[in-house]
Order: sequence, then structure tokens, then C-alpha cells
Amino acid sequence: MSVLVYAAVLAYTASRTGALVDLVLTIGGLGAVALVVVLVRAAEDLLAWAVLPLAAAYGISIVADRHAVDQTAPLVAVGLLLCCELAAWSLDARWRIAAEEAVVRRRALALGALVLAGLAASTAVVAIAVAPAGNGLSWTVAGAAAAVGAVGIGVAASRRGSA
Amino acid sequence: MTHRVSPRLAGYAGLAAVGLLTGLALGRVELVALAAPFALAAAVGAAFGREPGVTAGFALDRERALEGDEAQLTIELASAAGADRVDVLLPLPDELSTVEPNPRAVALVSGEPRALPTRVRCDRWGAFGLTGPLLRVRDALCFHAWEFQSEGREPLRVYPSVETLNALLPPFETQVFVGNQVSRSKGEGIEFADVREWAPGDRVRRINWRASARRGDLWVNEQHPERNTDVVLFLDTFAEVRHDGRGTHDLAVRAATSLAHRYLRRKDRVGLVSFGGYLSWLLPASGTLQLYRIVDSLLQTDIVLSFAAKDVDVLPPRTLPPKALVLALTPLLDARSAAALLDLRARGFDLVVVEVSPVPFVQPGGDELSRLSYRLWRLSREVLRARYERAGVPVVEWRKGVPLNVPLEEVAAFRRFAGPVRA
Repeated sequence: MSVLVYAAVLAYTASRTGALVDLVLTIGGLGAVALVVVLVRAAEDLLAWAVLPLAAAYGISIVADRHAVDQTAPLVAVGLLLCCELAAWSLDARWRIAAEEAVVRRRALALGALVLAGLAASTAVVAIAVAPAGNGLSWTVAGAAAAVGAVGIGVAASRRGSA
Repeated sequence: MTHRVSPRLAGYAGLAAVGLLTGLALGRVELVALAAPFALAAAVGAAFGREPGVTAGFALDRERALEGDEAQLTIELASAAGADRVDVLLPLPDELSTVEPNPRAVALVSGEPRALPTRVRCDRWGAFGLTGPLLRVRDALCFHAWEFQSEGREPLRVYPSVETLNALLPPFETQVFVGNQVSRSKGEGIEFADVREWAPGDRVRRINWRASARRGDLWVNEQHPERNTDVVLFLDTFAEVRHDGRGTHDLAVRAATSLAHRYLRRKDRVGLVSFGGYLSWLLPASGTLQLYRIVDSLLQTDIVLSFAAKDVDVLPPRTLPPKALVLALTPLLDARSAAALLDLRARGFDLVVVEVSPVPFVQPGGDELSRLSYRLWRLSREVLRARYERAGVPVVEWRKGVPLNVPLEEVAAFRRFAGPVRA
């Protein structure tokens, strides 16, 4: 599954690249090899290094495309995260531990929630970037709410940590 | 408790940092968007890093079991905050296994204790101390893991299964105490032995009226008294041969248990000598308590490599009472035990050697030299057996898969046609 997601993201990246498609495919291919090595050798600590080439390949493709903001970037981002998480799940599943259904369900739900939250966060970034600047009160309120929310999360986390 | 953090958490943080910095440097918001889910995942992972507070205990429903039995072990888990995943591994010796999967992963609901019933299958005899389960508590996405072992220790003694024996070897001489073995001597008893002339002091009820009428004098009946016997089980623990987890020592222990069980049921006195790297003994006694003593002692026996020269002189004299039947269970692999048995025979003990054959556990090699050495080894065993037979000691080979009745019957047949040799 992880490799499939990786391949899908790589295919999409290559499809949207113009002249530099060979470079993108080469870098993405290196990442694919790294991912296979991670899966075969169960090297979870190298997982980030396996998706970094694909992220770099995507970066090359968007830098090469000098015009508009790519609005599919959140999907690519979520694809990369999903690839990592599925690879980690695959490595965990290698241990011969008979997991009951509730455990698998909880992880699937948590992964789904993380992916959706990641998609929302990434979409928010892109949406803010493409929204016209200077639109007044609504964006100011949104920014203030985000700041308050961030401070609130920090306070809650510190309280929980001290408890 | 050991706390481990998944390396991918640091990897996500790194990817997020690289994405943000590169996006800032290149002025491309897409790279920031790429970094956002990883930054979120890293934040979520950091938020999961709270100790789950899982407590665990375990209990076994019994302390004793027979080989092949299943003991019920219950693992109790509880957590005030709940746990998305708890990996439970019950560390068991090779002789025990579980019917349920081991290890297994379960989820805990907050505030609700959970019992995991586990059936422990006793595959082989032995005395074990079961330690608490190893636990690994993880969050839903497995970013953090807390590992610890539940405290406590539960003893479990697995007794070897007892083989059904149809008949037992009678010793040549019985003891003075009442038992179930018909003595060869004459006296008060039930079994008719002979008639003899009446002598003063004989009871009237012992007069054989028919013989007296025929001979014109008073003749009385004589009987064989029922006496008990002393049996000493001599276990050779100097060496063994093992293959596929089974070995000659297993067979010897199983045979010793079966013999002790059967002789003690017959009201005989049974003792045990474990002659090997570690020397241990039990003085002959009768009763159920002695059976437990013997079996407990057998569970402790093990093959211990030793180069110390030992002979029967190291045994306390009361361990080997006079007129005792010494039943030796030996693979005939060590010269010291072979010499000790010959020494016992020379001292006049009624000795029977049951050779727990190591041959089925040995695979001859493929090359010529290996085959030759295998044949030489077999021949040397034949020579040793011949030495015992020359000394008047019955030696019977007992192989894996053959009922113990078979070698005992062989010995009985041998003793029917061979009288005792006084050394």
C-alpha cells in the first residue's frame, strides 16, 4: 500500500512536470529504492529519507512551473504522509503479534483522522496563500483566532505535562 | 519502565522544518503545504507522549499439573486513561506453550479492568517459575512505547505422565515389613507354600487334616508371607543424548516416575539416587508423600557436565539398604555410572539395568568415517552390555515409543531362567 501511494504521488508529479521529467523521475526513483530498502530492512529510522527525494522531486516540478500556485499540493502532502504511515504500519505488522480487531480499528481511525487533519492544515495553507490579500476583517479575525487557539493548545499541553 | 519514541517522529519534524525553510527560501507556498501535515503529525506525536499508567498482574489457577494438562493463567490489565494498544508477551520456558496467541495486542478502555485468560499447555515435565508478562503500551499511531514487566512469580510444577505398568519386577529378597509381595521364605501368610510335620507351638488351625490322616502324624501347612520390598531407582544423570527437544533423560525421568508410582502403590519402600554431575538421593520410604518427594526430586534433576570421578562410596549407606532391588535407568554413556553399577553388583545388590537407548536420538553421519565411528560406538555398547551380563545383571534396552512394560517383561523372563549370582 505504501509503495502504491508513493508510486501514485510520483506519477502525478511526473505528469505535471514539463522538461525536467527525467530529473524528477530519477530523484523519485531513488526515493522509491530507499522506500523499498526501508521496507525490506525494517529501517524505520530511514523512513523520512525515503520520502524526502519525492518531496524534492515535487519541489523541482513546482519551481519549474513558475506561474500559479499548485492547488493539489495538499493531496501530494497527504500522500507523502500516508506513504510514511502505511510503511510504519507495515513494519509494525511484521512482528507476530496477534492484534485484536479493536486495536487495528483504533489505528485505522487514528490514521484516518491524522490524514484528514493534515489535509485540512495543508489546504488551509494553500487557501490562505491563494486568497486575495487585504480582504479586511474576516482574515484578521481568523488570524487572531488562530493565535488564540495556538496559545490555548500550548497552555493545555503544559498543564497536562505538569499533571 | 522504558520509554521509546519512534524515530519517524523526529523524521516528521525534520521534514516539516525542511519544507518550511525551503518554502520560505524559494517563496513557494506548496512546499509549506507539504510541510504542514508532517508538522501536524509531529505535534500530535508529541501530544501522545504521556505515560499511560497501565497496571498489570497475573495469577495461575494451580501450582501442579500433569504433562499434557492445561493450566489457566489470567492476566489482569487496567488503565485509568485507557490505552490504544497494549502488547502482552508471556515469557514461557520451552516446555510450556499457550493455546491463545502469544504475544497479542489488546486495547484498554479507560477505567475498565480487563482480564486476559490464557491457557498454558504443559508440554513437558519440569519445575518452573512463571514470571510476569512483558508489556508494551503504545499510542494509536505507535509514536511512543512504554515497556515494562509485571511483577510477581507463579510456581508451576509439571509432573511427568505415568505409564501404565501391568507387572512389576519382584526382587529376589523381601524385607521384614508387611506388604503385597509374596515372599520366597515361609511363614505366616495366605499363599500356600508347603507342608511340614507339626511342632510344638503350631496353631491347630494350621493343621492339614487331609495330609495328617494320610500319614498318621500331624502335619501343618506353611505359607509364603506377604512382605514389602525396597526398591532403589538409580538414575544416571552424567550424560544424555537429545534430539528435537527430547532426550534419554526425559525417558528416564518418565520411567522413574511410573515405577515409583507403581511400587509405592504396592506398599513397597522406594528410594531414589540421582547419580551424575550433581548427586542427590532420597532414602527409601513408602506412602503418597514419598511419591511427591520422588517426583519433586526428579523434576530438579538435570544433566550436569562434570569431570569429577565418582563412585557409589559417596552415597550414604542407608540410601542402598540390604536386599534392595536396584533399578538403574541409564543411557550407558558414561564410564563412571557403568563402573558404579558394576560395583553395586559386586556388593551383592539385586541389580537390573534398563538401558534408555540413545540410539534413536543419534543420526549417523553421511561420510565413511562417521559411519565407521557410529558402528564402533554401537559395538562398544554391545561390549558393555556383555560385561553386565557376565556379572549376572540383566540389561534390557528401552527405546523411545516402546511401552515400559516390554523391557520389564524381558527382565522378568531373564530372571525366570537365570538365578542370582553371588559375587
